[in-house]
Amino acid sequence: MDPREFQYTFFGLLIVWLCVAGYALSLALRERKLKAELERVRRMVEKN
Amino acid sequence: MRQNILFLMAAVFTGILVWNMNTVYGLPQQVQNVGAYKIIYLHVPAAFTAFTGFFAAMVASLIYLGTSKLKYDAFAGGVTEVALVFATANLLSGMIWARYAWGIWWTWDARLTSMLVCVLMYYGYVMLRQAITEPTQRARLSAVMSIFGMAGVAFVYQSIAWYRTQHPSPVLGFREGGGMGPGLEAPMYWNFLAMLCLAVILASVRMRQAQFATEIDSLRRMAHNH
Amino acid sequence: MMYLRQILTIAGKDLRSEIRTKEALNSSVAFSVVILILFSFAFDQAEGFEAFLGGLLWLAYSFAGALVLNRSFARELQNDCLDALISSPAPPSAVFLGKALANYGLLLVVELLSLGVFAVLYDVRLSGKLPLLLLVSLLATWGMTVIGTTFSALTVNLTMRELMLPVLIYPLLIPVLMSAMVLTTGMLTDVPIATNMVWLRVLVAFDIVFTGLAVVFIDDVLVG
Repeated sequence: MDPREFQYTFFGLLIVWLCVAGYALSLALRERKLKAELERVRRMVEKN
Repeated sequence: MRQNILFLMAAVFTGILVWNMNTVYGLPQQVQNVGAYKIIYLHVPAAFTAFTGFFAAMVASLIYLGTSKLKYDAFAGGVTEVALVFATANLLSGMIWARYAWGIWWTWDARLTSMLVCVLMYYGYVMLRQAITEPTQRARLSAVMSIFGMAGVAFVYQSIAWYRTQHPSPVLGFREGGGMGPGLEAPMYWNFLAMLCLAVILASVRMRQAQFATEIDSLRRMAHNH
Repeated sequence: MMYLRQILTIAGKDLRSEIRTKEALNSSVAFSVVILILFSFAFDQAEGFEAFLGGLLWLAYSFAGALVLNRSFARELQNDCLDALISSPAPPSAVFLGKALANYGLLLVVELLSLGVFAVLYDVRLSGKLPLLLLVSLLATWGMTVIGTTFSALTVNLTMRELMLPVLIYPLLIPVLMSAMVLTTGMLTDVPIATNMVWLRVLVAFDIVFTGLAVVFIDDVLVG
């Protein structure tokens, strides 16, 4: 396979996984934030 | 139970992918004189997954408007977001292939344009959801948006198809056209299945987060009422 | 019959209040003229310029149109007029159609005024082309109005209303704007209409489909 073709194939396939990984990462970050917030609010309710 | 299903899907996803990587690696380098074509083994399944998602979201939106059950709204919201990711992946990988095969990143062709419009429209949908805090209002308005969006995409696709098209015409066997050649299409459908599994996993994670958010909301309200 | 009267009453009310204040009309016309002048600077009538004419005109129309459409439901927020309208005996679809009709009239006025400026600035000869241009404008503007009015209702309670409306409507308007641009450019460069017939069909189909969708789903948008 000539190097140019290989390069384009490689990046074309890579970008799909990058998109998915980026979204998964954002999901994980959001999950962490939400859990912390949930914990905080729960404690707030228990205190009352 | 739910977790077990998700683990099973993850296993299916990984299994298909690894097995397919081997198959695709062994395929010829060029098909009908088109190089770098192996991109389509992710490009096309991503588009299928995205459209399946958008369509499922529209159906869920219709059901929500009929039943007013918030779980359908959570489904529509989560699935649309995940589908948007796959649509973006489809666009970007397509652009890289176009750069190789046509020498340009972008052209105003039916499929490219309708996918771009689709991404723009559902990006608006996600923004709309973020802009509304009241759950039932958000559910109602975004459901209508989802339905309009699907109709809009169909329209854009039709109108540009009449205009001009440069995209490789449908060569897959299930439509007219001879098919890509023996053994070349199957890995693509398997990849579609794998991506669907991945999309379901992502969407269910997203939907659980929506559950967390409502839980936080109700706890906050409780704290205020005390 | 009753339904028709309700529609006309609401359209009349909107038009009267607009004619008294002229807030949407003034800003919209001024904006569209400014855009046309800016375009004329930017492109400076280079060679082959005719191919852009339809595009420029419809971009100006659609930008200016968003200003009118933004106000359509937002103007009812003061004194809770919107709630009064919804709880009035007129069904939501009549409120919607009345408002759409009023917006349609306003947009057509804006377009007519901008068309004069357009013809002067770009040295376009319109004689003999007006009937067809009118037909295209009537069809495409109705498409813009239906989408714009629906989303004006949809975004009326949002804090970011003015920002959300353009983001939501322009992608949906692409088929309308595209056909109007192709038709208008073809008309101004003397392409026979028969070659562009397909675009006229797109316009008609768009108007019918989205008017239907809007009337069906406006209940969910306004009442819920």
